[in-house]
Parts: sequence; C-alpha cells; structure tokens
Amino acid sequence: MIYWLFLAPVVAGLVAVATPWRPAVAWLGATSSAVVLVLGVAFAVRVESSGPVGTGVLRVDALAAFMVIVIGAVSLLATVRSVSYLTDEVANGHSTLRHAALYSTLVQGFIAAMLLAVVANNLGVLWVAIEATTVVTTFLVGHHRTKSALEASWKYIIICSVGIAVAFLGTVVLYLAGVHAGIANPLDFTALAAHASMLNAPVVRLAFTLLVLGYGTKAGLVPLFSWLPDAHGQAPAPVSALMSGVLLSVALSAILRLRVIAVGALGVTFPRVLLLTIGIATLLVAASLLLAQRDLKRLLAYSTMEHMGMMTVAAGVGGPLALSGVLLHIMGHGLVKGVLFLDAGEVLALDGTTRIDALRGLLSRRPAVGAILALGLAGLLGLPPFSIFVSELTMLRAEAGAGLWWVAAIVLVVLAVILAAILAHARTVLFGPSKTATASPVSFSAPLGVALGVAVWFGIVAWPLAHLISLAAKVVA
Amino acid sequence: MNLATFAVGAVQLALVVVGGPLLLGLMRRVRSRLEGRDGPPITQPWRDIAKLAHKQRTRPTESSWIFSAAPLVLVATAATVATLAPLIALTPPLAASTDFIAVIFVLLVGSVALALAALDTGTAFGGMGASRALTIGALVEPALLVAVLALSLPLHSTNLVAIVADGSRHASVLVGPSHLLALASFIVVILAESGRLPVDNPSTHLELTMIYEALILEYSGPDLALVTLGESMRLAIWLGLFVNLVAPAGVAANAGAAALVLGLVAVAAKVALVGTIVAVYEVTTAKLRLFRLPELLAGGFILALLGVVTGAVMR
Amino acid sequence: MTTFANALASAAVVVTVGAVVVLWRHRLRSIVLALAVQGVALAVTAALLAGHEHDRVLFAVALLVLAVKAVVIPGLLVRVVAATPGARESDPLVNVPASLVVAGLLTLAAFIAARPIVALVGGPTGRLVPLGLATVLIGFFVMVARRRALSQVVGLLLVDNGIALVAFLVTSGVPVIVELGSSLDVLFGVVVLRVLLARLTAAGFSDLDQLRSLHD
Repeated sequence: MIYWLFLAPVVAGLVAVATPWRPAVAWLGATSSAVVLVLGVAFAVRVESSGPVGTGVLRVDALAAFMVIVIGAVSLLATVRSVSYLTDEVANGHSTLRHAALYSTLVQGFIAAMLLAVVANNLGVLWVAIEATTVVTTFLVGHHRTKSALEASWKYIIICSVGIAVAFLGTVVLYLAGVHAGIANPLDFTALAAHASMLNAPVVRLAFTLLVLGYGTKAGLVPLFSWLPDAHGQAPAPVSALMSGVLLSVALSAILRLRVIAVGALGVTFPRVLLLTIGIATLLVAASLLLAQRDLKRLLAYSTMEHMGMMTVAAGVGGPLALSGVLLHIMGHGLVKGVLFLDAGEVLALDGTTRIDALRGLLSRRPAVGAILALGLAGLLGLPPFSIFVSELTMLRAEAGAGLWWVAAIVLVVLAVILAAILAHARTVLFGPSKTATASPVSFSAPLGVALGVAVWFGIVAWPLAHLISLAAKVVA
Repeated sequence: MNLATFAVGAVQLALVVVGGPLLLGLMRRVRSRLEGRDGPPITQPWRDIAKLAHKQRTRPTESSWIFSAAPLVLVATAATVATLAPLIALTPPLAASTDFIAVIFVLLVGSVALALAALDTGTAFGGMGASRALTIGALVEPALLVAVLALSLPLHSTNLVAIVADGSRHASVLVGPSHLLALASFIVVILAESGRLPVDNPSTHLELTMIYEALILEYSGPDLALVTLGESMRLAIWLGLFVNLVAPAGVAANAGAAALVLGLVAVAAKVALVGTIVAVYEVTTAKLRLFRLPELLAGGFILALLGVVTGAVMR
Repeated sequence: MTTFANALASAAVVVTVGAVVVLWRHRLRSIVLALAVQGVALAVTAALLAGHEHDRVLFAVALLVLAVKAVVIPGLLVRVVAATPGARESDPLVNVPASLVVAGLLTLAAFIAARPIVALVGGPTGRLVPLGLATVLIGFFVMVARRRALSQVVGLLLVDNGIALVAFLVTSGVPVIVELGSSLDVLFGVVVLRVLLARLTAAGFSDLDQLRSLHD
C-alpha cells in the first residue's frame, strides 16, 4: 500500500527519460505531484481513523502522512511552475531538450527520495533516502552549468556528503546501542523508541550528537550550513523552492524522530541543550548574514536558515504544544518560501539579476511579481493572518510555558532584527518610480496566489489539518 | 654478574669492532656492483683505517681538547653499547639494567661529541654540518622515543634485553601491528641516525648537501681512522638491534659456546642481509632535499605514535 | 593474543596508516593508491569477521567492499589523475609535517572520543574502534587542509572508509540491505563528483582557491 506513493514519481521520471522532452512531460510531473498530495490526504484520513499504516521498514504514521502532504503541496507548486520555467528555458535556448528531460527526471527522483525519507521507519533506509536526495539534487543545483552553478553544486555535494557521513556514523553507533540492549530490530524507529530506556546512555549521547550534526547539515543548521546560500542562489527557482520548502524540513523531521529515542534514553536535558545550542547558533548566524545581504535569493536562503533555527529551538524545548507549532510552521514556511523562491525566479528570468539594489521599483514595474513578493515577505515575517504568525506564536508560548523565558526572549530579539533587515531590503526592491508597468500571465500568478491563500487559510482556520498535526505532534512529543 | 656474561660482552665487542668496517665495505661493494662497477673489496674500510692510523695527525690551530676527545668518545660509546646490548645473546653483561632509552642516549652522546667537535673547528662547513646534524637529531629523537614506547608496551618495560627476549619467545609479538609500526618508524630513524640515503648521502662531498661529511671534514690520520671505525660500529649496532627486534631467531638464550657461535653467525648473516637491502635501496633512491626531511621524519614519528595507540588499544 | 585478533588489528592499522599516507605523500597517484590499499584492508577486515562468525552474508559484503572501494572508486579517481599528468598536492594549506602532527593529535582525540563505544563493545573488535574514528577525523582534516578538488574527494572517501571500519568492528557490519544501499549511494556520489570534477576542469578550475566567486 505504501509503495503506491512512489508509483507516480517513478512513472513520471521514467517517461521523462524515455521520451523526448515536450511540455506534456512537465505536466505529467505536475500531475504526479498532485497524485502524491491526494495520496497524502488519503493516508492522513486513514491514520486519523485507524492508526498508523505499515509495520516493516516503511510506515505511515501521523507525522509521515503530514510530511507527505507538505511534500505533495510544495512539489505541486514547484512542478506546476516548472512547466513554464522549462518551456521558457528551451524557447530562449538556455537549456537543451536533453537538459530539460534530465531536469524533469531528477525532480521526480528528488520527490521520490524525500517521500522515502519521511515514510522510512528504519534508520538505514532513512539514511539511504537522505543521501539519495543529495546525489540527485547536485545536478539540479548545477542545472545552469555556469561557473557559479558548478561551484555551488560542488560545495553542495561536498558539504552535504560530509554531513551525511557523520549521520551514517551516528546511525552505526545508535545501531550498536540497540544491538547491545538486545533489541530485535535495532534500526527500527518504533522498536528503538519503545525500548529507549534500555539503551546505553553514553553511546546514545554520542550517536544523537552525530546524527543531529549530520542531518542538521541537510537542514541548514550550524555548523555545516555554508552550502545553503550558494545552492539556493544558483539552483533553478523551482528546485530552490523544493529544497527550501521541503527538503530541509524533511531532514528536520528526521531529527524530530531521533529526538524521541534520545529523550527516552537520556532524559529531556541533553537533547534540549544540544538542540537549543544549535538552534540559537543557527538563528544568530542567519540574522547576522541577513543584515548585509545584497542578493534576493541568498536573502531568502538565509531566511530559511533562520526558520530552521527557530524550529530547532522549539524542538529542543519539546512537548506537544511546541511540536504542533513546529509542524504547522513546516507547512506554512514550505508554502510561503516556495512562493517566494518561484517569485524570485521570475524576477531573475525577467530582469536577469537578483541583486537587491538592481531591482528597485518592482511593485510599479511588474505589479503581480511585486505584490506576490510583498505578500510572501509579509507571510515570512510572521504577520497575521498568515499561518507562520500562528505557529511562531505557538512556539514562543511553548518556550515560555516550559519556563525557558530567556530562549523566547532571544528568539524574539532575533526575529525583531530580521524583521527590520527584511523590511529594509523589501523597501529597496519594491518601491521606487517606474514608467512602465508589465502585467504577468495568469499561469504565473494563479498558482502562487493559491499557495499564499492556503497559507492564510491555515492561519485563520486550522481545519482540516488541526487533528492530524496534534496526532503527529504526539508521535514525536 | 659472572664470567660467562663477560665472555658474551667480549665476543659482541669483537664482532662489532671487526664487523662494522666490513659491513661498510659490503654495502659499498653492493652499491658499486649495482652501479656496474667492480668496486673495492669488502675489506677496503679496514685497509683505509690501517693506512690512516699510520699517517700524521693535523688539527685546526684554534681547536680545543673537544676536537681531539670526540673520536675517542664516539668509539667508546659505540663500544659500550656493543658490549651491553643483546646482539648475539640474551645474556650480555648487566642485562637487568640495559634500558633501551639509556642505550639510545649513550649512542646520542657520540653524535653530540662529533657535532661539538665540528663546531670547535670554527670553520663554516663544520658549523653547517653540526647545525644540520643536530636538526635531524632533534627530529629523530621524538620518533625514536615513541617507537621505544610502542615496543615496550607489551612488557611494561623498556629493558632492551627483555624486549628482545620476549620477541624470541612469543612469535605473535613480532607480527603484532604495534610492533610492526614501531619497527617501520625505526627504519626511518636508523636511516637518519646513521646518515644514509635518503637523509644524507654518505659518499658525497658536495658542499650544499653533505651533512655527516661536513662534520668530520677537519679530521685526519689516526683521528679520522677512529671516526670511521666509530661510525661503522654505530651502523652495525643500529642494524643489529633492528634485526634482533624484527626477527630474534638464532639469538643465543644462554652463554654456552655452541649457542654463542650460532648466535654470532646468525646475527652476522642477518645484519649482512639488511645491510645489502639498505645498499640496494640507496641505489634506487635519491636524496631528499633538506627541507623535505621533516616530512619524512614526521612520518616516522606518526607511525611510531600509531604503534603506541594500537598497542594501547590492544591491551 | 590470538591470531585472529592480531590479523584484525593489522588490517585496521592499515586503514589508519592509509589515511596518514594520504597526508604524507604529495603525488596524487600515490594518494589514490593509498585509498585502494585501504579498500583492500577494509575488505580483509570484513572477511576476517565473516570467517570468525561463520557469516556467509558478511563474506558477500566483503566482496562488495573489495569491488567498490578497492577497484571501482580508485579506478574512477585514477582516470582523473591520469588526465592531469604529474599531478601533485604541491602547496597544501597546512604543510606536511604540521599535518602529520595534527593527525597524531586527532588519533589521540579519537582514542578519547571512542571510550563509550570501547566500554560497551570491548573484545578484539571493539577496542579497535579508535583506529576507525581516527581515520574519520583525518579524512575531515584532509578536506579542510588540501587545495586540490580531488583531495577533497579523497578526504570524503577516507571519512567513509573510517566509518565503514567502525561499522564492521562494532556490529560486524550493519544489516546487508543498509550496507548495499550505502555502498551504492557512495558509488553514485563518487560518480557524481567525478562528473562534476570533469566539468570543473573543463571550466578551468583545478584548485579550490579558484572557487571563491560565491560568498557574502
């Protein structure tokens, strides 16, 4: 049953390899994402009514169903935009038909690997899936084949491979602890979580630190984050949207699952100290690099780091409230950041640059592009009624509620700094005089508008996600 | 202490004194053969020593007693070690106190005496040679001590006789990774300490590259004969210690006459073999530039350190 | 000390010495050769464990490791080296003697960091874990201290080999499916890196110092 999830991406990917590229191939990719989204909803309904599906290496519980929905939603957005992106690229001669076909295949492989990572109930399969996302996306980052794109993809694969190697070491060490505790299937998440108190504490401490550092690399956390701005800056816009919107959250959800085992074996303190340290360090680094940023896509990349740091802090605090906040944030951030990267991609395609000081007057030059940028940034900064407002508030309440006032205070101060920085950059980009105003096609503004609408919807009405999120938060609380 | 151990000591000393120059002759002969020359006979170093002993001695006018004492110190330290180290038998005199580190430092006294004498001459070459020799010595010493530490781990003792005896009794010690790493590092150390390629070219008089030859440039006559003898004894001692650590087979366990003869033949044969190998290696390799030397010696050091770590984890 | 323990320790030591040789040598060809020797030593480790525990599956894993890490990956790298004749790591960021001293310190650090694992596993296998961990740390160091793009790949592979050694020693290998998946992933990763390396070379990069256009 779970294997059906992979059918659509695999078929769409194979078709893209086998047939010469034409827009229909890209539409097939978008359809495949829609199928993933529908299947995610179906799984969610099933999990809500009758509990987790599957028992072996693949298992869909509430968290997995939720993540499948997020992957489906953001990849639907990205693949729909990929159609016109690729059509334009081919029409302009920026990319050959072969490159377009390669792109379509790799995007489907990327989505399949992320799906595997979220439904994996096995440490080894999780690792293989996350490593597979690295291998697949390297060529997507380097899609443009310019010197800068090559440099970005080189950094991307080298740094992520280091991270993933550290995670493998952590996996081995955790497996070792499981073997010595006499657990029958010591790579199994459910088995490890159920018997966590039997695990050898010093060994789990080592393993959890390695795993957080390793998967933290893919989640854009300190210390191995330097691939992130380069890769997001150079990758094609739909790929940036997918990476920033979901890939990083997928890695974070792996950390959430591992945290359950660590809390079971070590108590709440060690995982909390580790995650708070890494999360706060990530927040600070992201904020300081945001301040003087001169490029729109890199600005968005650092903002992603900031949000990942915020979610890591909340995960460190723990508890159902904080984790519900994290999960809602994953959804809201995925949608909004996806929209923003696609918008920045449109800016790059039309203006040929994403340098902030070269874009003045965007709102009057290209009203649709500018408006979406303005709305997206508002959503990103956590202004109501966007769902990020609700999730940030939830996370802050949880932090304060756990007695960690100082953590909430640090997060608030950093948020205020980032608010000021992004508003200043936004003013430069958006406002300014312009003589001409160019309209944008509906194929551009409609999907992005819908995605923003969904993000607002979840900020006002929690239905239909509320129950699923509370179930998923219980899985990892 | 009894008469038998003194007999062992005397035989060892005689072997090293007689055999050292012969070893040097052997290595030169192997070298010339490989280079397509006939080369001098193996006994040539002895002939040189005999000839030099009859020549007049000249000393730099500014030099002090250090210059005249150094050759004697060199030979005396080598002779001490030759008597006390377990070369042909496990029962040399004072076996209970033959500490590996002490052995190394006694040999070091000889090197330092030579370096001081080179400085004492007040010539530019002497100073340059001394500076280079002491630099190498300073790099070699840590590697050597760490290698000794690795070798001493199984027994918790740095007694050289005990280490060799342990190896001759338990073959498994010899193939242990810690032992092998320490010996690998020991090879680097020996090549550096005895001034062989790729560290120093023993047959060069090229100003820019020579190290050892620069040290002894001012010696002549009987002094040079002593220096040559002392240096060849040291080479024989290093190689003798090395072969007994690698493969102690044949080393006499007691001071019986038959065992001693067997031990003498065995150690002479093994040293001759290793000397030949070193000579062959020297033909096939080029001297390292001086500033690349730290790389080689740091490599020797790290091998010894890995030996210690391995020995420590294997305990 | 049994022959098994001795042989296992020697194989593990060869893996660590291979990492040291990578730091020691300048010629890229020797560096790739050291990687291949490491691959053989890893396969020998797995085979020894397989023989010791009469585990046929682990023996198959040993053959897989031999094929991937001792033949295929070094083969791929040798073709890169062959494309640049006389290629050397001529000017590392940290010079060779200092690198070797750092390697020594990292070995001691690995010795300390591995204590919980050694305490848990023990025996002839578990006590060798520090050697694997030292290889991992030296691999990281190679990645930061060397300028050549190829050296970074080599550092990554050192890290990977060290982890594989740890995995074999502590658990006689993780389950075969994971082993298979990770070997394939590593192979794909190296193929991807190889392709990227070719594209970098074609674009005129050989030295990582030239990769400086993206920064803040």
